[in-house]
Amino acid sequence: MMSTTLLLSAMAALLELDTTYVFQTLVSRPLVAGPIFGLLTGDVMAGIQIGVFAELLGADISPLGGVIPPSGVVATVIPLALHQTGIELYFGFFIGIAAALLYSHIDAYLRKTRFTWLVYLEIKIAKSPRVIWHTLCANLLLSALVTFVFVSLTIWLSTWAILAVFPYLTPKIHLAFQLAYLAVPWIGLAALLPVFRLKTR
Amino acid sequence: MNFWMRANMFFRSFFLQAGWNYVKYQNLGFAFVMLPFLQRLYKQDPGAFPTVLQRYLDTFNTHPVMSSFCYGAMAKQEEAIASTQSIAEYKEKVFEWTETRRALSITAASIGDRLFWGTIKPLTLLIAVLLWILLGVNFFETQNTYEPASWVLWIAPIFIFTLYNALAWFVRWKGIKISYSADPSSCFGLTYFDWNKTIYWLKKIGVIFTILMILFAIGSYLSTVEEFNLQFAVHTILISFFVLFSFITHRLKIPNVYLYLTTVIIFTVVCLF
Repeated sequence: MMSTTLLLSAMAALLELDTTYVFQTLVSRPLVAGPIFGLLTGDVMAGIQIGVFAELLGADISPLGGVIPPSGVVATVIPLALHQTGIELYFGFFIGIAAALLYSHIDAYLRKTRFTWLVYLEIKIAKSPRVIWHTLCANLLLSALVTFVFVSLTIWLSTWAILAVFPYLTPKIHLAFQLAYLAVPWIGLAALLPVFRLKTR
Repeated sequence: MNFWMRANMFFRSFFLQAGWNYVKYQNLGFAFVMLPFLQRLYKQDPGAFPTVLQRYLDTFNTHPVMSSFCYGAMAKQEEAIASTQSIAEYKEKVFEWTETRRALSITAASIGDRLFWGTIKPLTLLIAVLLWILLGVNFFETQNTYEPASWVLWIAPIFIFTLYNALAWFVRWKGIKISYSADPSSCFGLTYFDWNKTIYWLKKIGVIFTILMILFAIGSYLSTVEEFNLQFAVHTILISFFVLFSFITHRLKIPNVYLYLTTVIIFTVVCLF
């Protein structure tokens, strides 16, 4: 369990870099990341379902300007890590989405604080251009480390919390989470129609 | 600009957003992409280099894929600055460079956001989902017992990953070449492609695919119902209500993730009482 959590967190940290900081090949989008995490947790089918649901739910937010959408990687890795311990996907998905929203605020904080030492670094860069390479590497390393710690802690804490309250969860609460989970693809599909609205020409 | 310099800029362009910050946005990444070109251009004049680099460290923000059109154009303009003979001419060329960078980054961002984030990304989502459906993978059912072959599971993500990157890498590579050789009258090569027409047709395909998906989802939902009872009626009313509600939240610019989290809380409260 511990080794899988660390493996999933390391993979999430690498994939999260692709979201904004390097490459942007979209290997980090839930549709691709879902099956990858599914493979690591031993249930590719669950990975596909979580990937499709997470991507449909986030289809109405784009990273325009300074907007930071909820992390697709976090929204995908958390439910699958919890699913591996026997927690239902509909509980995990709720935690995953909440964690993805929280992570976007942490990322925004990182981007804000980055400027405080950028002023000092710009002077150094003008003197020695090699500093740009070091600065970018340090940024990437810090972002990956933050993602790794965040994902590991969220998996560990949410597994512990759900398993503690699990005996007290009535069938009605299960039904509520299941119903909301079933509504996700419908809400997502409804959001796609305005996304493809023809505004050009 | 030779092939190897272009290849170097192309590779470095993947790191454009590595130093993203809320004040100067992609300035570090932009300087990083242009660095080998500037070092070669100012090889004979190292004293001018810090001042030149300072210009590249100013605010820069555009779409990561479409940014390739800025690199070629900026390189061309920088060559003109480096070859100036007088201070007046230098100031004029620097002013032109600054204005071009500002205008080109805004235009490229607008095209890139509409084309890549607003059209190609959601369209590839639909292509993957439709591909899975055609191969018999039904993810609308939460209790799925069907075990498809592994190639069926992987073909959709591999296909859309390849499709998106083929398009994005093509634009990245071509953008540097076209913008370097094109003149300002063609918006530094931005008018080389008919972006509006491309977006228009891709969005039309997107609408057709979305309608197909909705029809399939309705069919799949109805096929799972064993009998039309009160439970089915309650499920249908609840889902229809939240779909209609999502149109309202969309108009209010509230993202669907908040609608989902609210749905969970409302359903839990309703189910408890």
